[in-house]
Amino acid sequence: MLHITDPATGPAATDRLPEAPARHLTDPTTRAVVRLQNGVLTAARDFLRGHGFTEMLLPMIGPVTDPGVRGSKQVDIDYYGHRYKLMTSAILYKQASLLAFDKIFSIAPCVRLEPLETANTSRHLAEFHQIDVEVAGASREEILRLGEDLVRHIVREVTEHHAEEFESLGRDTGAFAELLGQSFGHRTHAEAVAELRDMGHDQSADAEIDWQGEAMLSAKSGRPFFVTDYPKGSRGFYDRESRDEPGTLRNFDIIAPEGYGELCSGSEREFEYARIVARMRETGENPAKYGWYLQMVREGIPDSAGFGIGLERFTRYLAGLDSVWQASAYPKVPGVIAP
Amino acid sequence: MNGRLTDASPHESPYDSTDEGPDDPGLRAEGPGLRAGYPGLRADAFPAEAVRDRARRGTAALFPPVEAYGRTLFGAARTPAHTAPGADLLDALRLVPPVFMPRRLEKLIDLAREPMHHDVDLTTVVGALNSPLPAYLSAFGSTQVASADLGTAASRQAGRLGLPMVIGENVVPVNGYGRLGTAAAGDTERSLLGRIRAYLDELPDGMGGVAVQQSTEDADAEVWNLVYSDPSARPLLESGRLAFELKVGQGAKPGLGGMTVLNRAAAARVAEQYAVDDVLGGEERVLRCSSPGTFTEEILRQQIRLMRNNFPRARVWVKLHPGRDVRDAAAVAWSAGADAVTVDGAEGGTGWAPLGFLDAVGLPLGECLRRIGRPNGSLLASGRMWEGTRAAKALALGATAVGLGRAALLAVEEDPERGLTRLVEALALELRLLISALGKYEASALAYEDVWSAGTGLPHQDPSLATPLGTQP
Repeated sequence: MLHITDPATGPAATDRLPEAPARHLTDPTTRAVVRLQNGVLTAARDFLRGHGFTEMLLPMIGPVTDPGVRGSKQVDIDYYGHRYKLMTSAILYKQASLLAFDKIFSIAPCVRLEPLETANTSRHLAEFHQIDVEVAGASREEILRLGEDLVRHIVREVTEHHAEEFESLGRDTGAFAELLGQSFGHRTHAEAVAELRDMGHDQSADAEIDWQGEAMLSAKSGRPFFVTDYPKGSRGFYDRESRDEPGTLRNFDIIAPEGYGELCSGSEREFEYARIVARMRETGENPAKYGWYLQMVREGIPDSAGFGIGLERFTRYLAGLDSVWQASAYPKVPGVIAP
Repeated sequence: MNGRLTDASPHESPYDSTDEGPDDPGLRAEGPGLRAGYPGLRADAFPAEAVRDRARRGTAALFPPVEAYGRTLFGAARTPAHTAPGADLLDALRLVPPVFMPRRLEKLIDLAREPMHHDVDLTTVVGALNSPLPAYLSAFGSTQVASADLGTAASRQAGRLGLPMVIGENVVPVNGYGRLGTAAAGDTERSLLGRIRAYLDELPDGMGGVAVQQSTEDADAEVWNLVYSDPSARPLLESGRLAFELKVGQGAKPGLGGMTVLNRAAAARVAEQYAVDDVLGGEERVLRCSSPGTFTEEILRQQIRLMRNNFPRARVWVKLHPGRDVRDAAAVAWSAGADAVTVDGAEGGTGWAPLGFLDAVGLPLGECLRRIGRPNGSLLASGRMWEGTRAAKALALGATAVGLGRAALLAVEEDPERGLTRLVEALALELRLLISALGKYEASALAYEDVWSAGTGLPHQDPSLATPLGTQP
């Protein structure tokens, strides 16, 4: 006989959970991490503004949000009697914003009720932020280079200006030598699958690199690397399908080394109306609920490419933290009741 | 509970009747009077009384009255209550035991005694879930919203039996913003949770499992995401007994989406989500229509891949309506990685549907199975299933298991404590008798060679088809 888990008891197998807010906030580690995170944001803003980007404040609620999120549940809210969503990501508004500016970025909050099994991956939060970037007319290669330059700039800036924080966190900045000195590694999804299978890991060729597989690839690398060309069926409708190689997406992830895993996801975007509607169906979506977005797409939006860097994950990697929740002042671990 | 399932009387609920699922108790399923003048598949009513009899008497109902034993002559002239010759390939077929039975010899050697029907192993893997017999509980539509007790009673009995169960709560999207089982959630969500809970409370280790259905319009409510991230479902997820069923269509109205009769007030509340037609006459009732969803080969393939990607720990089932290209659709589903494909024959639903659809649209289940031929994965068949001969014929045509829909509901209504259990016990005994009579001792061993009908081309002369169809090549 099986028993229903009481929702209040939360996940069973998390190694270490955040302490009460008063303890977490006064913990020297938290303070150092938040200061380091400030350095990340400052460096990101400086870099992007210096490259002609406009910072947008994007909506937190809307009638529809990014559906392309593996296994997680969206949060519904009652918006004057209409069912609205908290943003799981800002993707729809990123595309829309290109009607105003060619290059935009945003530090966007995201809420995803992740599956409970993610409580002990050390890298999932139900509430987090992304450094979101979108560029009209950019190709995958161009946006990928921008992502690499941005990551390198941030790491250079924080290692230069936050030595004290690294010191107090016990993080040796020598870990970033390869990142700062060499270009990022590169493998396609198919190559990553083959590599994992060679390592004895049963990775599906049709799906995302699973969390264990990602950790395995990450652990054996000394610098960040790209994984490109994910198969259709592993990502949301907005990742552009290759016109030359149907079934393959023009997208990428940046995977951090040392086992920290994915930092960033990006792609060229679908922007043509009929393709977007067909891709919505392929991802099981009901186009009817995307009314405002499809109307806009029908009238024409720029083709674009962009990415989002998970701010807390990036901070975790920089600070060398055990868990991503340590990179948040008010962490929400999936399934764990927290203020 | 508001009366018998066959009543057409209005309910208190705003959801007077919906149709989702092949398997809804048709509100008018039994009324031959209603069907008079409509030729075709539907002319033979669902044998509700025979089902109720089994729910009351269990295995005793398989046999003639014992009082008549020794005093009445029984012969082939008896007209079977549950068949209507010519209406359906499955009805037209006969099960045909051979004289020579090499497999019985194998069993004899194995057992060192003459095998009996008790020796037939019925255990079956149904879409990656273990079942004590080649059967599962089909989705009940939201018709039972008016009688959530029935759904819960069915779940409890199915759990006790270890029978895999499909939950087709299309009603989740209609209500509520909350999560499963919370105060903010609508009644229907509570009923989804209530059914899972009732099922789990009784479920033996290592058996059964729950398949949660989602159709195109349900996607708005993210039923799967809701279940996958809910603590209530963890026991299922962690024991590999949670499946998600992608509902492509249903037998009662192939090519159409769900239809629900609503009162006007309820219709106003869902007007943002659903098309509502004022076509039913009168002041009170309107028709809510769901879109069926658009599928192409590529859309089906990618939706299945996305399910596997997003819910890696859940099994993937796909339910097809009896379309003329059902063979191609099943092939796409299996090749994309579906753990099971359910085919719902046109005779399946007594769901609420336009009369023309009930009478004249869609392939009967037997023809679906014939077109699919040797399945390339687990093939589940639903459509008027309740007794052993029809089930055995479906297995012989390649099905892995059969779905009990209406029959299960009627049985539970007849006796909420034991009705389904008795119906299933009767089905199991009948299958054992039939399979052993065919000289076989496993449900999966049934094959084309075991059925015959004049003019149907069955059994095939191709000797390769004499091997079991229900197992993967």
